[in-house]
Amino acid sequence: MNQILLGAGIVLLVLIIGLLYKISIMVGVARGKKEGPESRSNTVNGVFMLLFLVIFGAMGWISAYLYFDDYNIPVASAHGSVTDTLFWWTMGITGFAFVVTQVLLFYFSFKYRYRKEARATYYPDNSKLEIIWTVVPAVVLTLLVFYGLNVWTDITSQAPEDAEVVEIMGMQFAWKTRYPGADNQLGNYDYRKIDAANMFGMDLTDKNSFDDFMPREIHIPKGKPVLFKIRARDVLHSVYVPYFRLKMDAVPGMPTKFWFVPTKSTADMREETGNPDFNYELACAEICGNGHFTMRMTIVVDEPADYEKWKKEQKSWLSKNPEYMSQVPAALKEVALISSGIDTEAGKITEASF
Amino acid sequence: METADLHIAEEHANEAHEHHEQGFVAKYIFSQDHKIIAKQFLITGILWAVIGGLLSVFFRLQLGFPDMSMEWLRPLLGGWITPTGQLDTEFYLAMVTMHGTIMVFFVLTAGLSGTFSNFLIPLQIGARDMASGFMNMLSYWFFFLSSVIMFISFFISTGPASGGWVIYPPLSALPQAMSGSGLGMTLWLVSMALFIVSTLLGGINYITTVINLRTDGMSFDKLPLTIWAFFLTAIIGLLSFPVLLSAALLLILDRSFGTSFYLSEIYIGGEALPNLGGSPILFQHLFWFLGHPEVYIVLLPSLGITSEIISTNSRKPIFGYKAMIGSMIGIGFLSFIVWAHHMFVTGMNPFLGSIFMLLTLIIAIPSAIKVFNYITTLWKGNIVFTPAMLFSIGLVSFFISGGLTGIFLGNSALDIQLHDTYFVVAHFHLVMGSAAFFGMLAGVYHWFPKMFGRMMDAKLGYVHFWFTFIGIYLIFFPMHYIGIAGFPRRYYSFTNFDAFSTFTDLNAFISIAAVLTFVAQFIFLFNFFYSIFRGRKAPANPWNSNTLEWTTPINPGHGNWPGEIPKVYRWPYDYSKPVNEEYAGKMSEEELANMPDFIPQTVPYSETPETNLPHENDLINLEVKDDEGAIVIDTKKEE
Amino acid sequence: MIKDIRITEEPKKTMSMNPKRFLLWMFMVSIVMIFASLTSAYIVRQAEGNWLTFELPQLLWYSTVILLLSSLTAQLAYRAAKQDNLATLKTTLGLTVILGVSFLITQLYSWGVLIDNHVYFVGNPSGSFLYVLMGVHGFHLLSGLVYLLIVLTQSFTYKVHSKNLLHLSLSVSYWHFLDVLWIYLFVFLLLNH
Repeated sequence: MNQILLGAGIVLLVLIIGLLYKISIMVGVARGKKEGPESRSNTVNGVFMLLFLVIFGAMGWISAYLYFDDYNIPVASAHGSVTDTLFWWTMGITGFAFVVTQVLLFYFSFKYRYRKEARATYYPDNSKLEIIWTVVPAVVLTLLVFYGLNVWTDITSQAPEDAEVVEIMGMQFAWKTRYPGADNQLGNYDYRKIDAANMFGMDLTDKNSFDDFMPREIHIPKGKPVLFKIRARDVLHSVYVPYFRLKMDAVPGMPTKFWFVPTKSTADMREETGNPDFNYELACAEICGNGHFTMRMTIVVDEPADYEKWKKEQKSWLSKNPEYMSQVPAALKEVALISSGIDTEAGKITEASF
Repeated sequence: METADLHIAEEHANEAHEHHEQGFVAKYIFSQDHKIIAKQFLITGILWAVIGGLLSVFFRLQLGFPDMSMEWLRPLLGGWITPTGQLDTEFYLAMVTMHGTIMVFFVLTAGLSGTFSNFLIPLQIGARDMASGFMNMLSYWFFFLSSVIMFISFFISTGPASGGWVIYPPLSALPQAMSGSGLGMTLWLVSMALFIVSTLLGGINYITTVINLRTDGMSFDKLPLTIWAFFLTAIIGLLSFPVLLSAALLLILDRSFGTSFYLSEIYIGGEALPNLGGSPILFQHLFWFLGHPEVYIVLLPSLGITSEIISTNSRKPIFGYKAMIGSMIGIGFLSFIVWAHHMFVTGMNPFLGSIFMLLTLIIAIPSAIKVFNYITTLWKGNIVFTPAMLFSIGLVSFFISGGLTGIFLGNSALDIQLHDTYFVVAHFHLVMGSAAFFGMLAGVYHWFPKMFGRMMDAKLGYVHFWFTFIGIYLIFFPMHYIGIAGFPRRYYSFTNFDAFSTFTDLNAFISIAAVLTFVAQFIFLFNFFYSIFRGRKAPANPWNSNTLEWTTPINPGHGNWPGEIPKVYRWPYDYSKPVNEEYAGKMSEEELANMPDFIPQTVPYSETPETNLPHENDLINLEVKDDEGAIVIDTKKEE
Repeated sequence: MIKDIRITEEPKKTMSMNPKRFLLWMFMVSIVMIFASLTSAYIVRQAEGNWLTFELPQLLWYSTVILLLSSLTAQLAYRAAKQDNLATLKTTLGLTVILGVSFLITQLYSWGVLIDNHVYFVGNPSGSFLYVLMGVHGFHLLSGLVYLLIVLTQSFTYKVHSKNLLHLSLSVSYWHFLDVLWIYLFVFLLLNH
C-alpha cells in the first residue's frame, strides 16, 4: 500500500510539474494572442464540462452498481425494513432531481459557451416558472415528510408491555449490559455506588437488583420486541447496531431508550451473508475518547426458545459477587439469598460468612 | 444620509491627515482600510486552510492505509507517533477536531466572510470605508490573537482539543476523559471566545455599513446579491454567535469552577464526581443554535459570490433576483429553527424531533429555488469560462449533490441509521465544506484584479479547478457508499468490527484522491502569490462587470474613489439587455454589433434610451431632478 | 415576461441614523442574544426536573429600585446637557455613577444573602444560573459604568454640551438598555425561580 501511495504521489508530482512547464510555454507562446473569452481555452473548458458529465455520470452509475452489495447491508429488524423502504424512496426522488439538475447544469455550461456572434438572452424573471419550482419540491417534500413522520412516530412509540428489557451502559471504552433476571425488573442504581466489581452502581437495597445478571454478550430473542434501556457512566456514547438500523445516544445522567423487533437470528444472518463467523456487533457512534473505535460488543439473536434457555442458565451478579451481600439490608437478606440464587449454590456457608 | 455622510467625510479627512505620518505599520499591519483588512483576513485564512488541509491528509492516510508506517511524520509530530510508528489514537481525534474547527471557523467564516464582506461591502455599495474602521481593525486583530492561541494549542504536551469540533461535554469538560480536554480545550475555548468577539465586531460593522453608507440610489433592490448575502450572513452571525458565547461560558464554569450545567452522575477515572443535575443535552441545544446557522454563515457568502459571478460570466441577468433574495432570507430565517435535527438520536423528546424534521425539510425549498435559478441563469447565456466562473459552476454542482443528501439526513427516521456515519461526512463536506470553499476560490479569482491590481494566471486557474473539482468528487462521492453501509465517523480504524471490514479499497482510493486534491492546491498557492507580484497588469474592468467596485481606480487608495462617490441608477444585472421596440428598427447592424453587452450601475437611464424598458423611461425624469440636487450636496462635502 | 421586472425608484436617501448609534444598537442585539440564550437554557434545564427552588433575596427589590433611579438621573443628565445646564449635568451624571456602583454593591450583598441561605454557585444548576445571570449582567453594567465615567470626566473638561451630545446620549442609551435588561431578568427570575 505504501508503495502504491508513494507511486501515485510521484506520478502526480511529475504530472503537475510537466503541466506547469507546458503551461508556462503555452503562456509564452500565447502572449500577444487573444486573451479572454475568445481564446481556445473557453471552448476547451466547455467541452470538459460535457466530458465531466458523461464520464463521472458513468462512473457514478457503475460504482453504485458494483458496490451495491457492499453498501446495501442486510436489515435485521422490523422497523429497519420500513426505514430502508423510505430510504430507497428518498433515493429515487433525490436521485431523479440529482440527475436532472446536474445534467442541465453541465449541459447548459457546454451548450451556451461563449460565441463571438452570440448574445445572451435577457431573461431576468418568470414568475410562472418560479412558482412551479417552488411548488413541486414543496409537494414532493410534504409527501416525504409525512411518510417520514409516520415511520418516526412508530419507531419512537412506547415499547410494548411484554418487551424484553436489556440495559446497556456505555463507559470508556466498553459496553456493559444488564438483564432484569427472573422478576423482569431492573434494580435501581446510583452512580456513587460504582466500583471495580459493581460497574453498574447497583443499589443492593432494592430487592429488584438481586437477580439482575450481567452477561458478556447481549442475547435477544428473534421476533419479539426488545427494549434497550441505555445510559452512560462517564461521557456520551451512542448505541449503534447497523443491521438493526438502531442508534441512540447514551447520556450520563439522562437514561434513553430504543425498542425494536429483531427479525433475523444470528444463525439466519450467517446463512444469508454466507459468513459462518457472522455476529451482530454493537458499536459506539458518538466520539467518546481515544478508544472510541474499539467499543465493540457482540449481540446474539436467538430463537425464542434458545433465548429462554440461555436466560435460565445465567447466574445473578450477586451470586458471582457474594461479598456484596454486606450491602443488602438485614431485612432483605433472606430474599436476596433466594432470588440471587446464592442459596442453591453456596448453601449456608456464604450466609454464615457475613 | 446627511449625518452619515458628514461623519464619514470627517473620519476620512482625519485618517487622510494622519496618513502622511503613518509608516508601514499603520498602512499594512494596523490598517483601518477595509481593503487591507480584507487581505489580512484572506492571507490568514489561506494559511489556516493549508494547515487544515494538511491535517486532513494525515488522518486520511491513517484511514486509507491503517498499516502504513507513519515514522516519516515523526519529525513533524514527534511524540504523537507511537514507538511502533503508528499515529497516536488520541492525536487522530485531535486532528479531526482541529480540522473541523479550523475549516469551519477560521477558513470558511473568517477567511470567507472576513475577506469578502470587508472587501466588497464598501466597494459595491459605494462607501469610503466601513462604518468604523477602528472596529474593523480590532475585528482582524481579535481573529489574529484567536488564531495564535489555537495554533499554540498544537504544541502543548497534552495536545489540542480532541473532543470533536462540536466539543460535547462531558468529554470536553473532563480532563480525565481525554488529555486533549485539559489545557488544549481551555485554549480552544479562549481562542473561540476571541473569535466570537472578532466575528461580532465584524458583523456589527457590516450591517451598519450596508444600512447606513450606501451611495445615492443604491436602494436595497439595487444591491448586488453579494451584498445581500453578506448582509444576511452578518445578521445571522450577530444573532447566533452570542449564543455560542453563552454555551462556552457555562462550559468554562463547569470545567474550571465546579458548576453542574452540563454534568451529572459521572463516574470517571475511578471516582464519582459530585456534579448532579446538569444536562449534556442542554449544551447541544445551545451549541447547535449557533452551529446550524453557522452552516449558512459559511454558505451564504459563497452563494452570493457565485450569483454575481455566474451572472457576470453568463452575460445574463441573474434569473429571479428577488426570488434569490427571498430564498436567502428564507434560508436565514429557517436556519434558526432547525438546529435540533442534529440531535434526533440524543434521546430528545421524539415529538420535538418530528417538529424539527418538518422545519428542516422546508429549507430544501428555498435551496431548490436557488439551484433552479442558477441553472436558468446559464440557460441561453454566452458563458465565459473564467476560473471564477468554473468554480462557481462547481459550487452549484456541489450544492446540488450535498443538498440532496440533506433530505435523507433531515428525515429523522432515516437519520437513525445515517447519523454520525460517513454519509453525514460526505453530505456536509459537499454542501458546506466544498461548496463554500469553491465560493471562496471563485471570489479570489474574480476579485484578485481589484485586490492586487494584477491578474491571476487563467490557465493555471483552469488546471487548479479541474484537479480540485474532480478530486473533491472522487473523495466525497464514494464516501456516500461507506456511509450507507453504516461506517461511523471519527473512527481511528475499522479493524475492530466485522461489520466495517469492507471498503478497504474504497477508503484507500479516497485517501489517494484527498492527497492529490491537497497537492493540487499548491497550483493555486503558487498562482496567488506569484501573481501578487508578477501577474499581468489588470485592466479597469477585466470581466466587463456592472458593479461599482470596477469604477474605482485599478489600485483604489484609501477612500476608494478619488473624486465623488458614483451614483447608482439601476440594478447590477443589466447584461445583454436587448434593444427595445422603439429602437429596434432604427439601429444599423454595425451599431447593434458594437453595443456593449453590459450596462454598469452608474449609467443613468437617460443615457440608454435604446435599451430602456417602458417603465424605465419614466424614471428618466426623476433622475435628472434628483441628480442635480444630490451632486451639489456631495461635492461640497467631499471638498 | 418583461412586465415582471419592477425596478421601482425608491427614495434616494438612505437611512439617516448615526453609524455609531447604530453600532451600539447592534451591540445591544448581541447582548440580548446572550441573555436570551441563557434564559432559555434556564427554562430548558428547569423543565428537566431536579431543580432546587428557593426564595430570591429581598435585596434584589432594592437593587432594582436603585437601578431605576439611576436611569432617571441619567435621563436628567441628558436633558441638562441638551439645555447646556452643565452644573446639573455633572451632578446628575455623577449621581448615576454612584447609583450604578451601589447597584453592583447591592447585587454583591444579595449574593451573600444567597450563600447564607445555602444557595451556592457550585451546586444545583438553579443556583448556578442565578449567579451566572446576575454576574453576566453585572459585568455588562460595569462596562456601562466605565463608559459613563469616561463621559463624566469629559463633562468636567466641558466637552459635553448641547453641541456635543453623541457620547453622552450613547452612554445613556446603553445605561437604559442595561436597566431594561435587568428588569427583564428580575421579572424572569421572579416568575421562574
